[in-house]
Amino acid sequence: MDAPHITQEMADSYAVGALERDVSALIQLHIADCDDCSVLVADAEELAALLAYSAPRVEAPRHLRDRVLRESGAQTPRWRTHVARTGRAAVGIAAVLAVVASFTGMVMIRGDVDDLREQNNVLKTQVDQALSQEVEIASLKSEVSLGDRRAFELETAARDDRELLASLLSSSTEVADVFPVGENTRGVGRLIWDEEQRLLYFVATNLSPAPVGDTYQIWVDRDGRWQSLGSFEPDENGFVRRSFLLSNDIAVYQSAIVTVERAGGSFEREGLSVFAADLATLKDN
Amino acid sequence: MSWQSNPGTPGVRKIDRAEDAALPYDSPSAAFAQMTDAALMVAVRAGDAAAFSALYDRYADLVFSASLRILGDRQLAEDTTQDVFIRVWQRPELFVAARGRFPGWLMSITRNRSVDELRSRGRRLRREASAPADSDDDLTADLPTEARSDDPAWSAQLHDEQARVRAALREIPTEQRAALTMAYFQGLTQQEIAEALSEPLGTIKTRIRLGMQKLRRSLKDEV
Repeated sequence: MDAPHITQEMADSYAVGALERDVSALIQLHIADCDDCSVLVADAEELAALLAYSAPRVEAPRHLRDRVLRESGAQTPRWRTHVARTGRAAVGIAAVLAVVASFTGMVMIRGDVDDLREQNNVLKTQVDQALSQEVEIASLKSEVSLGDRRAFELETAARDDRELLASLLSSSTEVADVFPVGENTRGVGRLIWDEEQRLLYFVATNLSPAPVGDTYQIWVDRDGRWQSLGSFEPDENGFVRRSFLLSNDIAVYQSAIVTVERAGGSFEREGLSVFAADLATLKDN
Repeated sequence: MSWQSNPGTPGVRKIDRAEDAALPYDSPSAAFAQMTDAALMVAVRAGDAAAFSALYDRYADLVFSASLRILGDRQLAEDTTQDVFIRVWQRPELFVAARGRFPGWLMSITRNRSVDELRSRGRRLRREASAPADSDDDLTADLPTEARSDDPAWSAQLHDEQARVRAALREIPTEQRAALTMAYFQGLTQQEIAEALSEPLGTIKTRIRLGMQKLRRSLKDEV
């Protein structure tokens, strides 16, 4: 590790606020890009913060609590914003569809209606024939492949279980608790971090199915940027065991959350949060 | 990744899917009482207002007390306390657990916000305040004994920590303690402290350096 650029004395003086403003500003700029100095300053700030404990203890006014919760907006759940945004988006989409439908109707009226009807009938017959053949073929395929598919699923599940057990036995694996967020969230979960395999397992039980048209999606963050690892669904018993690959260019994440997003997953974290985990509390398995 | 205390870990449990897989606690307040500050902040980042309320209940008195000590005005201290917690709610991503504990981060915001308010009012408040900023009465006054938050264990822990810090400060030579408190609670720079005490700048720098060294040695286990 390179020697820090800020001395302990400078860090201590900065932390108690004894430096001139321009010097303090330079230090702030420096620690934004220098991890070593950032740690040094954070340590000094933590020590300086203890000075606050020496202040005579005065109880904060009772009315201040309600005021803080109200002014911060913490009394209004953030999911309401999500619902309002979704509602507004739905209205917008419906309006667009209404315009397109009316425009299409006008074009049809102007065309040669009889010719179009004849062509439409021919096409319809051809489509029906093709569909019936496809249905028959699909049915035959389905009977043959059902058994194969089931065997494949069982084999995959067994392999995943073996991999998870191997991770749990490894000394490079750590575990973090997963906390439900919100009153209605049910389930008990753990995150298993396998550093050797660069895999993150999410294991949970008693999980409710995601709402129709939605899916669960897991995110990890570093310095405020959320990165999706993937989506998942619990089985019919509410159990889920999924593994996700971790990016090799990032050594550590700070936290993980599970949200409910639209089916297929979302590029940006938008949905309601249901679970959270503090990855700083990962402990040896 | 360092290990931190995570109370309430259930260990290996047998879960009967015919019943609710109950969480290891019965009520939201009991649940939050077992969570570390860092875990609560994870929940805050996920938008959990109850977790934010729990953090407020833990630290509101400390933030208000420190702010009042700096500003000497209850109304301003209330406003500053509000600003601090609003920042916690609106910018939770600024707290990075790997870089330090939550109280340190929170009190850094509190102190900076309070001193900014003090400076914007030209330090008029300090001259009008009844309690001198560098009084040793702070260290000898009795600590409150009643638990403020719903969690007596947490209140007791805070009480103990406060007592330890006060004891450590009493061990620091008076002039070093004065330099630290003038900087921290009055928002004075080294140069301003030197002028106020009619001492050379180098002397003040040394006092601050030695004072922090002694504080660090005394409170090594708490940092």
